[in-house]
Amino acid sequence: MARMKFLCDSERCIECNGCVTACKNEHEVPWGVNRRRVVTLDDGVPGERSISVACMHCTDAPCAAVCPVDCFYTTDDGIVLHDKDLCIGCGYCFYACPFGAPQYPQKEAFGVRGKMDKCTFCAGGPEGKDNSEEERHKYGRNRIAEGKLPLCAEMCSTKALLAGDGDMVADIYRERVLKRSGRPQTWGWDTAYQEKS
Amino acid sequence: MKTSTVKLTVCVAATLVALAGCYGPVFPTVYEPGEYKGASDPLLKTHATAESKQALQQRFTTSQTDR
Repeated sequence: MARMKFLCDSERCIECNGCVTACKNEHEVPWGVNRRRVVTLDDGVPGERSISVACMHCTDAPCAAVCPVDCFYTTDDGIVLHDKDLCIGCGYCFYACPFGAPQYPQKEAFGVRGKMDKCTFCAGGPEGKDNSEEERHKYGRNRIAEGKLPLCAEMCSTKALLAGDGDMVADIYRERVLKRSGRPQTWGWDTAYQEKS
Repeated sequence: MKTSTVKLTVCVAATLVALAGCYGPVFPTVYEPGEYKGASDPLLKTHATAESKQALQQRFTTSQTDR
């Protein structure tokens, strides 16, 4: 069974923000909401690294565990999606997420945040038909229904960001590490995909 | 009929009418915690097919493998 995963190869990421732009453009994400962002570690210091971060679609998603209205569901290949009609914008998922993935479109008095928004692995949400106008408006484009993978990874010019079946992603990364030597740094994988008993 | 009896009857009737709107369902819908309660996603069905998974693997091989 395929298990969809993201992997960012920090040795290859050149901090071009192409993935961020691709995501915003593809899903017409509003101002102030960044489903994906590039984080630079040790900025300005020799050996600095950049990684592209978004929802990692965790195996045991903490956002889903804390959601008081249970608006999260997971596809059979591990994509974590949510229903904006159920979301009450409480922000619990934001506090629970180790990657800071949940985003909120509003910031108003009395803590009004609006419906939570996050990376959908380009798989839309539970809105009528796939790629309907409503789904596109609420969740963005549903590329998975079209047989395509997330645009952020497909647009990555250095192929630093990989998205797809976890086994295939891991194989590519393993080959890279063997070729260039050094230690593998699957950033975020331990946190996101660790099997807990 | 005495005036007081009429008044009492009217009062009781008015109270009954006023309380008629206070009825609520006796058995609320109780969900198991952690159970998704929203609309069903059509992707879950279409994406579960072998063809769909094969198409995604093909796509991955074409667009993301190292060259």
